[in-house]
This record gives sequence, structure tokens and C-alpha cells, in this order.
Amino acid sequence: MFGWFVKGATSRVKTTRYPARDETALGVTPGRPVETTCDNELLAVDLAATCPTDAIKPASFKTTVDISRCVHCMACTRGENTMRWQMDYRWARWVGNDAGRAARHRPFQKSLHIRVVDTGSCDAVISEIKQLAKPYYNMHRLGFFITPTPRHADVLMVTGPVTSPMRLALLKTYAAMPEPKWVIAVGNCAISGCVFAPSFIANGSVADVIPVDVHVPGCPPPPLAILHGLLLLTGRETEMQPIDQPLGGPP
Amino acid sequence: MTNMPVLFFLAMIALCITGAALSAWVAQHRIGPLLAVTGSLASLMILACATSVLITRQPMQIDLWHLPLLGLLRLRLDTVSALFVLALGISFLPAYLFSKSYMNRYPAHYNIRGFGMFFHLLLMACTLVLAAGDVITFLFSWRLMSALATFPITLEHRQDEHRRAGYLFLAMNEAGIILATVGLLLMTAWAAGHIGFTALHQAMEHIQAGGRWAIFLMIFAGFSVKAGLVPVSSWLPRAHPVAPANMSAVLSGCMLNFGIYGIIRFDAIIMAPATAGPGLVVLAIGGISALLGILYATIDNDLKRMLAHSSIENLGLIAVDIGAGMVFAAYHMPVIAAIAWVVAIYHLINHSAYKTLLFLGAGAIDHGTGTRDMNALGGLLKRMPVTAALFLVGALAIAAMPPLNGFVSEWLTLQTILRSTELASRFSRVIFALCGAGLALTAALAVTCFVKTFAMSFLGLPRSDTARTAVESPQSMRVAMGVLAVICIALGLGATWVIPLVDRSMFPLTHQLAANALVPPFFTLQHGNAQFSRDFLTGFEKIGADLGKGVVPARGLVILHQGKVANPVVYAMSTFYMAVVLVGIMLIVYLLVRLTTRRRTVSISEPWAAGLRRLWPDMSYSATGFSNPVRIIFKSIFGPAQREDSQIAVAGHFRTAIRRPPRDTYIVDRIFLRPLVGGVKVLAGLMARLHRPAVVNAYAAWVFIVLLFVLVMNRLF
Amino acid sequence: MTELSPTALRGFAEQCRHFGPVELLPQSDSLMAVVNCPAAVLKPLAEFLVHSLHYRFGSLVVEEHPTQWKLIYLFYRHEGPSLVQLCIYLKADHPQVDSISIKIHAADWHERQAEDLFGLVFTGHPRLGDFVLHEEWPEGVNPMRTGFSATRPMQEKVVDPAWRPARILETPGAFLMPIGPVYADYYESAQFFLETVGEDVLRLIPRFFFKYRGVEKLAQGRPWQRVLLMAERFSGTSAIAHATALCGSLEHIYQVQPPPRALSLRLILAEMERMRHHFAVLSDICHASGMSVPSAQMDILEEQALRLSGQCAGHRYLYGWVTPGGLNRDMSATTLDTIARETRRMAEASASIHRSLQFTSSFLDRFEGVGAISMAVARELALVGPIARASGVSTDLRIMLPYGGYAQNGGPPAMVEPLEREGDGYARIRVLFAEIQQSAKLIDAAVAALPTGPVRVETAGVLRQGAFGWAEAPNGAAFHYLRLDAQGCVQRYQIATPSFANWHGFHIAAENFAFQDFPIMMASFGLSIAESDR
Repeated sequence: MFGWFVKGATSRVKTTRYPARDETALGVTPGRPVETTCDNELLAVDLAATCPTDAIKPASFKTTVDISRCVHCMACTRGENTMRWQMDYRWARWVGNDAGRAARHRPFQKSLHIRVVDTGSCDAVISEIKQLAKPYYNMHRLGFFITPTPRHADVLMVTGPVTSPMRLALLKTYAAMPEPKWVIAVGNCAISGCVFAPSFIANGSVADVIPVDVHVPGCPPPPLAILHGLLLLTGRETEMQPIDQPLGGPP
Repeated sequence: MTNMPVLFFLAMIALCITGAALSAWVAQHRIGPLLAVTGSLASLMILACATSVLITRQPMQIDLWHLPLLGLLRLRLDTVSALFVLALGISFLPAYLFSKSYMNRYPAHYNIRGFGMFFHLLLMACTLVLAAGDVITFLFSWRLMSALATFPITLEHRQDEHRRAGYLFLAMNEAGIILATVGLLLMTAWAAGHIGFTALHQAMEHIQAGGRWAIFLMIFAGFSVKAGLVPVSSWLPRAHPVAPANMSAVLSGCMLNFGIYGIIRFDAIIMAPATAGPGLVVLAIGGISALLGILYATIDNDLKRMLAHSSIENLGLIAVDIGAGMVFAAYHMPVIAAIAWVVAIYHLINHSAYKTLLFLGAGAIDHGTGTRDMNALGGLLKRMPVTAALFLVGALAIAAMPPLNGFVSEWLTLQTILRSTELASRFSRVIFALCGAGLALTAALAVTCFVKTFAMSFLGLPRSDTARTAVESPQSMRVAMGVLAVICIALGLGATWVIPLVDRSMFPLTHQLAANALVPPFFTLQHGNAQFSRDFLTGFEKIGADLGKGVVPARGLVILHQGKVANPVVYAMSTFYMAVVLVGIMLIVYLLVRLTTRRRTVSISEPWAAGLRRLWPDMSYSATGFSNPVRIIFKSIFGPAQREDSQIAVAGHFRTAIRRPPRDTYIVDRIFLRPLVGGVKVLAGLMARLHRPAVVNAYAAWVFIVLLFVLVMNRLF
Repeated sequence: MTELSPTALRGFAEQCRHFGPVELLPQSDSLMAVVNCPAAVLKPLAEFLVHSLHYRFGSLVVEEHPTQWKLIYLFYRHEGPSLVQLCIYLKADHPQVDSISIKIHAADWHERQAEDLFGLVFTGHPRLGDFVLHEEWPEGVNPMRTGFSATRPMQEKVVDPAWRPARILETPGAFLMPIGPVYADYYESAQFFLETVGEDVLRLIPRFFFKYRGVEKLAQGRPWQRVLLMAERFSGTSAIAHATALCGSLEHIYQVQPPPRALSLRLILAEMERMRHHFAVLSDICHASGMSVPSAQMDILEEQALRLSGQCAGHRYLYGWVTPGGLNRDMSATTLDTIARETRRMAEASASIHRSLQFTSSFLDRFEGVGAISMAVARELALVGPIARASGVSTDLRIMLPYGGYAQNGGPPAMVEPLEREGDGYARIRVLFAEIQQSAKLIDAAVAALPTGPVRVETAGVLRQGAFGWAEAPNGAAFHYLRLDAQGCVQRYQIATPSFANWHGFHIAAENFAFQDFPIMMASFGLSIAESDR
């Protein structure tokens, strides 16, 4: 046992400095395509056509991106003309109503208890949420905790496209939470159903079942993006700041 | 005024006989109300009789016939007997009241006239046993009682199990009576044919050790059967569940007491303890009974069988107290002996109260749901709130929760056991220490057992349709149980009044008043206090005594148990103050919550069950599951190594059923009764061989040898 | 795998013909024997394959054609023909066939699944229903049938309040402990009913498919490009493996062979994925036994592996690389060097943790003898992957049916399959640690001998209609079956995942256990529910 103590004590601190400082390590995010200007309209249409999930839309001389449909397949970066790719991670969005935004401050700013419900997501999303509690991201330092029971939870973190057997469980979990409560939809399949929608068995969107306050897009969203979503919820971070200098390009 | 008890006594006998006669005459559906009226009146009479004897402290005495060869037959109800009569009344009165609606369930299937007759007469026979003043009357009324009790037990005689339980009850009790009779006859033989208890007592003072042991063992073994002590307790868990609830309440609440009465009367009063040996035997048997009783009670899921096992436990506790008293008396520590005996009787009265309450409660559950299986109950709190509250009082009392009565007697029992450190003999100390450890475990298991009983019956979700459609018990049942619940609370809160009463009444046995040691008068300190000077304290005592004299009764509300030089610790306990503090805390918390919290909205939602569609009743802990840890821990007692589950499979891993082997046999049956029966059978087989007609000569030779033996014995003695 | 001569294949066909009029189809080759057999012959023939020729059951594919049903039973083993497809045809109006699962337990869940999804009747199967489709699904509606719309939301039915799962523990006082579908912490959604009489749990009723997203149904009628996205994402943590398996079947259909460089790169990516997966499982294992320091150490390795993937492959879970005919992108030499260096370092670090764990008694106490699966059971249920290897059953598709980079240089790679015998939690841990070392070695060797050239060849018109593809996913053998129509759209897609095969064995491991061991057993299995539920 002493050996373990030494091993633990001699390991360097791995934890990211985010949100105090931006994380600049490589490989913490897959990045995302951002609005790209094109030389002509036809090119824009061509570029949009490369996207298998219709995340990219042509708009005269540029293409716009619906990040909640993007699955990071990077098909749009492979052709002759490519989408601009930005290696950031602060892409969570507030989508709830203002009442929720007003209620979130004060008592919940320093500490938040989270109940995770998996409604049909892949393991990658679960794995990225797990990373939050692990040494590199350690969300406990920010006052975020996973709680086993919804009775103690302030935030419901939902992943997956809400399959029909899980809909009732999701509703029950939401109902079991005390007011005030917020919901974070993590991952594109929780936001739009992603590649699993439209479907006979999956709802496709958490928002159709329970009111959602924060979207964390991504397939899967990297841990820092989820952290951004949580900080956004507590009002300790701002929304979607476009970073002008990309942190790096796709390899 | 000395005739008052006699009047009450005769009124009781008249009422019982009238009731029995009317039972044979009235319509079947009137038997229940009849029992409730005449039976209750008779019980009230006997309670009044006992109370007047206890208050006046004058024994009730009626001389009957003078038998030419044997001497005077006499009824004599002294204060010791009166205490037992009190317990008898406490048990019988509610049982009769309970009968009013309870008996309605039988007339469709069984003729309950006989039940009415025998149940009336049973009270009379029971009282006669306690009032007997000589051996012959005692034995006569004892047999009467045993015979009368058998019929109500086997009311549902068409069921095999019931008949068999009745036979077992009769057979084991007969065996006990025979043993006790031989013991008593030896006693009278020693007393030169005197049969009066007083004469016997005088004669016993000079008996030799060998004779003393022989008489003690015979009488103890004989009466143990009635008291249901291990290893002759097999009849309890069989007879109790099959008897109607009112009968099993009486069976457990008062009939078992007669075993204790016999032991006290003959082994402790008439044959005053001279050596520690007999006391230690009683103590050890009591300790083992208590532990085995509660172990089996914990794992049993049949409400009434569980209560039967619990009775074995409680009677074991009483036996421990009696044994401890006998040992202390033998070591010339009369005060502690007196405390032990007082506690024994206190516990006996307590047990009569709460066990009757619990048996009636089990009957009420049976009446409301049609089942006694805890696995099939659950959620009755909502359907039977009054029954639940009353049952809870009984369960808390028997689990020895302060401030109820069970706590007082169990606390005192353990304290008395702790006083054994002052004993001179190391062997005795070891036995006491083992017994104390056993009792501590017993006390803990008792809590487990009754938490399980209450929780599995009344809390949670109903686990069967019958539990879902349960109906609250009718008024007469609730009144019967209510009376007992009040008695339980009163016996607990009024401990400091009960102890002196019992103490005074036990004087014929103890020859020493223990109340001064146990419940000291208000504002006294007997030994002083190390921190204050004697004068200082005396001054305070005087002021306190002056102040308190007019306001409070002479006795305080605190029970003290204080050791002597070797063990100078004072243990203090007061159920009254505990109750005050408990109620106070609850009030304060309630007020604080009301005052400090704002008006807030209350939202009621279903219990969180991990998103399950519906929480089924079979998803809550079952009674079997609750007690399974105990079963696993004490596997070696409950049965030999666990047998394999039998699996039924279509092929390989397609299993369609896993079945557990049936319940293992009762340890007493396993290691005592069955070998005994087997041995007797073998012996009988051997004897039968002598009877074979082919060897007439040998048979004749045996007859001759026996005749010779009898003649020789007759010549020698 | 040994090369099989045509005579040997004919010999195999002869053996099969003992059971009835069995026909060996011409597309059979040295690797795969495709056999048409009458429905009546299926049961004895399948038994013969499994019990006499030591084949293992792999998958059951059901195809619905306008006039008939085609059922393909896939079997595999070490020696050739390594794969056997038994094809039977049923009349459209009489979808009934003998169940083989009485004798071949591995087929149990596959048959139940087909019964739920297609409405096929498997006569003689003792336990049908309530498998993929739960109690709220309307009776008689089978989502995989062609008439069923893949996109129209299904109306749930009102559930009968008296509905209960089938219980088998018949003893007074037995009760269920429900676990799930919403777990403590962040475990995936599934439900377990523990049958118990208090204290020890006698049996476990697993209920999966709470996460059923109908990938196979959604794939129907879609272009394979879209299906590839789903194949990567339905499990998430085994993206390369499932994409490789899907692309394997596409490459069989298109009859193309990816260039050697692409195959080697696929191998490198697959082994990176395996390493990350095993780090995560080992971290969960340490976490379940309350060993927080080892757990954190494994967490560090896991995140480092994720960052390595993100840095070198652009995606932390390696999405978007594999495509039919090769890879979407190439990797630079420096990136490959980084990968080789880093994986070697991580393997060393994990070896050091393993050494320390071997001497931590409080850790070993929790895993030794827990959740044991005997070799016989592992064979009977055709378990795969590390769990089968821990029970001493060799099932590595990289060796049994070498594919892609593993088949280069004329045969399976020089790797030793780590086999243990105990089959308990500790054996599984040892297998996982050994596989991490193995992966690092494979990556090292592949980087050192990386061929040059393009990473992709173009695919053209459809040559074959249906084909199997397979890969050894981190959890074990995955078989993908794909059938394309002339336009290149998917007609039928069927995935047999390793988690599906291994969860089938979980209830055997979870028998007569103390309740507190449940999380430890779950962790030591380290399976994915998303992968099993699809």
C-alpha cells in the first residue's frame, strides 16, 4: 500500500488549468469546421455536399456550419477546397429560457451536483464524461460532482438520442429531481439524434422530452467542451467565443 | 375484609361454570360474545381477587376436605401466587374480549361449543393450580388444566397438523407431569406423608444433597416442559400456530408461567437453595433457551410460530433470573437474590402483557388478511392503522425499547448478571459471564427479530393480494389489544411503583426486601458520594426529603443498581424520565421545525427506483431475506451444512427453476427429541421381544424378577 | 490458419452430406465454405459442426426476400475452412425453423433476437420474447421486417401492470433486487434483476436493449457511406474495429484489396484503440475495487492514449479514418514515430502498474475467484475476446481469420495469444495487461516495417451481394454482414458484436455471489452495452 502512496505522491499534477487558462495540449479536442468563405457560390454548394450529415449549408459566398450536426468525420477537409477547421472546444451553447438563466446563479455557482442519464449514447460520450472525474480534467476542483441519485442532483446530463425504452426512465429521473433543475444535452445524438435519426425507436432529441438548458455538441464532445457547458450553466464561462488563432490544424 | 378475595374467587368459579354451561346451550355465533361477557367478568373477578390479596398481603385460604389417608386439601393463595394470578388475569381478560369477533371465523367449519366450554373452564383450572395449597390439589388441578387446554388447541381438528400438534402438546405435558409427580411424591415421602406446602418446606430444610438433587432435577425437568425451556420446547412452535389466536395468547401469556410457578414454588420456596448447583443448572438452561428461542424467532416467517419461539426466549430469560436468584441465595447474597427474583416476576408479568398483545395482534392480522406468513404480508400500516400502532407498542416492548416495560426487566436482568462478579466461586462466575454474553446477543437479536416482524408485516408494499385487501380489526379486538398496550406502557413508565409491589409480594420467597436497594426512597444516597462530604449530603437529603415529602411519593422515579465493594459501580435508569425526555425532544423538534421553516410547497413524487417502470412488491426485502444474514451466520445451529439448490433445466444453461430444499429441522427435535424417541422405540422393541408368546417361560421369569424387586424395595424403604 | 486444398474442401462437403442433401456453393474458397442445406438438416449439421468439428457459433443473419427467408448461420474455427456459412431457406408464409440453441447455447441470444426483430419462430427454444423489444413494444410488430418504417416513430403500447420478467427462483421469500436502467454514477443503461433470498444473489436476470437504436434497421436503404458513420459511432470506443469489419465486407463485395500501407496503418490504429480500451477497463476495475491510486494511474494512461489519438489522428476515438479500399488519410513518418514512442512508453508504464498490483493483496482478494467462467462454459457459449482468453479459450480473429494488416507477410503476425485458465476476474486482468504489451509490440513492428505507397484504392460496381467482414475488436470478435443492392445501397446489415456474445455469459459468472461483488464483476467483464444493444 505504501508503494501506491509513493506512486501517487510522486506523479506530477496532470490537471488542466482550464478555465483559468486555455488548455493548449495537443489532442484534447477534435476541433470543428467553422464558417468558411468561398470564391463562388458553386464551390460553396460543392463544399456543403461533402458533409454526410448536412452540417454544412451553403450561403452565397460562404458555408455555414451547424455544429450540432457535425460528426467530426473531416470529410470536408479532404477535397480541393476545404472548410476552415478550428481546434477550440468552447462550443457549448445556452439554449434554455431566461428563467433558468436567472435561477442558476448564486447558490449553484460554486457547486453543482450532476446526474448522468444515458439514453442510448455510444461509449465514447460516456467515456468523455468519465474523463471529467479523472486526473486530467478533475471537475471536482470546480465544485462539480456526479451524484448517484437524482434527488441530490441539480443538473441532469443526458446523452444519447432518447431511445423509446429509456424515455420513461429519463422522465422519471427528471421528475425525481428537486427544483431548480437544469438539463445539459451532451453529444450530438442528444441534441439532434445525429446519425441515429430519424428513427422508429429513438426520439432524436432530448429537448422533445424534457426542457434543455445547455447544448454541448460534438461526437463525442471532448471533456473540455463538457466542462465548458457546465461552467456556462453556472455562469462562470461565456458562450462560444470564436478564437481567431486556431490552436492547430487537422493532421 | 379478609373475605373479599374468597368472594371474588368464588364469583370467578361461578362465572366460569355458568359460562361453560351457557356455551353448551346458546347458538354458535353467540359463543364469542358470551366469552367476551362471562369470561371477561370472571377475569375481572380473579384480577380483583389477586389485587386484594396483594394489597392486604393476607393469603386467601380455603380449607377443603380432609382426605383420610393424605391429609388436608387446602386452597391457599399467597402473595406469590397472587402475582401469577395477576399475570393470568392480564392475559385472560383481553383474550376473552378478543374472542367476541374473532370466533366468527369458525362456526362455518367447526363446532365451537366445546371451545366455549373449555375456554371458560380453563380460567378456573388455571386459578386452581395457583391457589393450590397442597400437593394433591396442585396435581389434580394441573392435570385438569393440561387436559382442558388440549381441546381449544385442536379446535380445527380436521387438519392433520393441528391434531398432531395437539397430541404432541398432550404427550409432552403428560411426560412433564409424570416427572414432576414423582418428584413431588418423593418430596411428600421425605416429609413423612405431609402434603401441605408449609409442612413440606419445613421438611425440606434437612434433606441430604443426593435427595435434594434428585427432587430438584425431577421437578425442574417436569416443569420445564410447561415453561417451554430447551430441550423440552418442541411443543411450543407446533401448538401455538395451530391454536386460535385467543388460545395461543393465553397459552403463551399465562400457561407457560405455570412452569415457572412450579419451579419457584417447589425448587425455590419449598426447597430453599442451599448450594449453587441447582441455580446454575436453571441459569444455564435459561440462557440456552433464550438464545435458541430468539435465533429461531428471528428466522421464522410465520407470525405465530415466531412468537412461540420468542416465548421460549422470554421464559429462558425468566429462568435465568430465577437461577441467578437461586445462586445468589445459595451464596448468601440475599439482596441480589431478591432483586433477581423480583426481576423474574416482573419480566413474567411483562411477558404476559406484551406476548398476549402480540399474539392477539397476530390473530388480528390473520383475521384481516387470512395469512400469518410475513412473506405474504406487508403494507398493512395503511390498511390497519390501529392494529399497527398497538402491535408496534408490543413489538417495542418485547424488543426491550425504553421506556417500555420490556426494557426495565431486561436491563435489570443484565445488571443482575453483571453483579455475578461479586460471587466467590470462579466456576459460577464463568457460567454467569457466558450467560451474560448470550443474553447480550439475545437482546440484540430480539431487536432484529421484531424490527423484521413489524417492518415485514406493516411497512413497505403489500406482497400479496390478501395483504392488499386487508381490513382493520373490529372494535372488540382493538379494545382487547388497547388494554394490553396501556398495561405495557404503564408497566414501563411505572416501574418504580411496580418493583416495590412485586418486592413486597415476593417476601415469602426472598425473605428480604430489595426495593430499598433497587428503587431507593426519594432524595437518599446510601453510600455517600466521594466528592461530597457526608454531612453536606445529609444536609441536602434533609432539605430534599422535607421538600419532597408532600409532593412526590416515597419512592423515586429512578432505578438504581449499585454494586458492592468489589464492583462499586452504580447503574441508574429511569423509564419515566426517559419518556419525559423523549416526548420533550419530539415536541421541541416539532416546534423548532414549525417555527423556523417557512411555508413551503410540498411535492409528492413516487420513490426513486432507478427509472424502473414500476416498483413491484417483490422488489422489496422479504422476511426471509431480512433474516437471511442471521441464518447464514448461525448456519451451524439452524442446520447441517447448506444443501445444494436443486436446479431444473431444459438443457445446460436453460434453467427453468431453482428450488431451495425445505426448511431444516428444529435443533431441539434434531438433537434431543428424535434421538429420544428413537431410543424409546429401540427399547420398546427390545421389550416387545420379551413379550413374544414363544418364550412364555422367559416372560414369566421377568414377571417374577419385577415382583421380587418390588418386594425388596418395599422392605428396604 | 492453414491453407486448405480444394480436395479438403470437398472432403468437408462430403462430411456434411452425411446429414442430408447439402450443397456446397461455388463461391466457397479456402477460407469460407458456403453451404446450402434444407431446414431439416440444419440442426444435426450445426451440432456436428460445433460438437465434432469444433466450430464456434459466430452469427445468425436473417434476410427477408419477397418469397422466402434466408437464414445464414455463421461458424468459425482455427483450421480451414475457417468459416462456414450454413444457409437455409424458409417459405415466406411459414417462418418457422428448429431452434439449435438447445444444443448450441451460443445461438440462444441470436435466435431470441431474430424472433423479436423478424417474427421468426424458433421451435423448441425454451425462452423467447422480452429480449430486444421490451414490454412496451406492441405485440406482433417486428421492426426489421421490410414493411416496417425505419423512420416513423413507433407507438408504445400500454403496459399491463401485472407484467413481470420470468423468474426461476422458486423458494418462499425470494425477491428481486432491481438495478437500473439508470445506474449509480455514469454506467450505461441496462437492467439487472438479481434473484435472491437475502445476502447472496442466486441468479441474475439481465435485460438489455434499453439503448437499442436499431442501427441495422436504420442502415436499410441508406448508402454505405452513411452506414459507415453509424458503424463507427454505435459503440464509439471500438470505431476502428467495427469500421474495419464493415469495410472488410464492403471490400469482399467490391472485390478490392486495400494497399499494404493502408492495412498496416489500420493495424496501428486498431492496436491504439485496443490499448486505450484496455486502459479504460483496467481503470474501472481498479476503481470498482476501491484502488484509487492505480485507478488514477490507469486514467492518466487512458487520457494520454486519447490525446495521442487526437494529436496523431485528429480524433480522440479515431473516427473518420477507415474507408473501403483503405484509409481516408495518410500519416506522416514523424506522427508514426510519435505513436510508436508513446505507445511503448505507455505499455511500460502499464507494466509497472501491473507489477505493483500483483503485490497488492487487497486488490487480488477482490478479484481472485470472482465471476469465474470455466473453459467448458466459455466454449459452450462461444465467448470471445479477453474474457474467453482468460478462460483458456483461444478466439483471436487476428490469428484465426487473419485479416488486413494481420495477414500481411503471408500469415498471422508473430504474436502469442495470452491465455489463462482460471477464468476469474484476476485472469481477465492479466489478459488485459498482456494484451496491452502485445499491442505495443504490434505497433512497434508495424511502424518499423511500414510499406510505402498509396493508402487507398478506388471501389467500383457491386460484384457480390452479401459478404461477411470481421475484426478483432478490443472486446473480441466482431462479424459484420452486409448486403448491397445494385445501386450501392444497403439491403441488409447485421452486426454480431463481441459484447453481445460476452454479455450472454455474464449471468453464468454472476451466480451465487455476494451482492457487493456485483460492481466488481461488471468491471472485470469490461463490456460495452452500447456495442451489445446497437
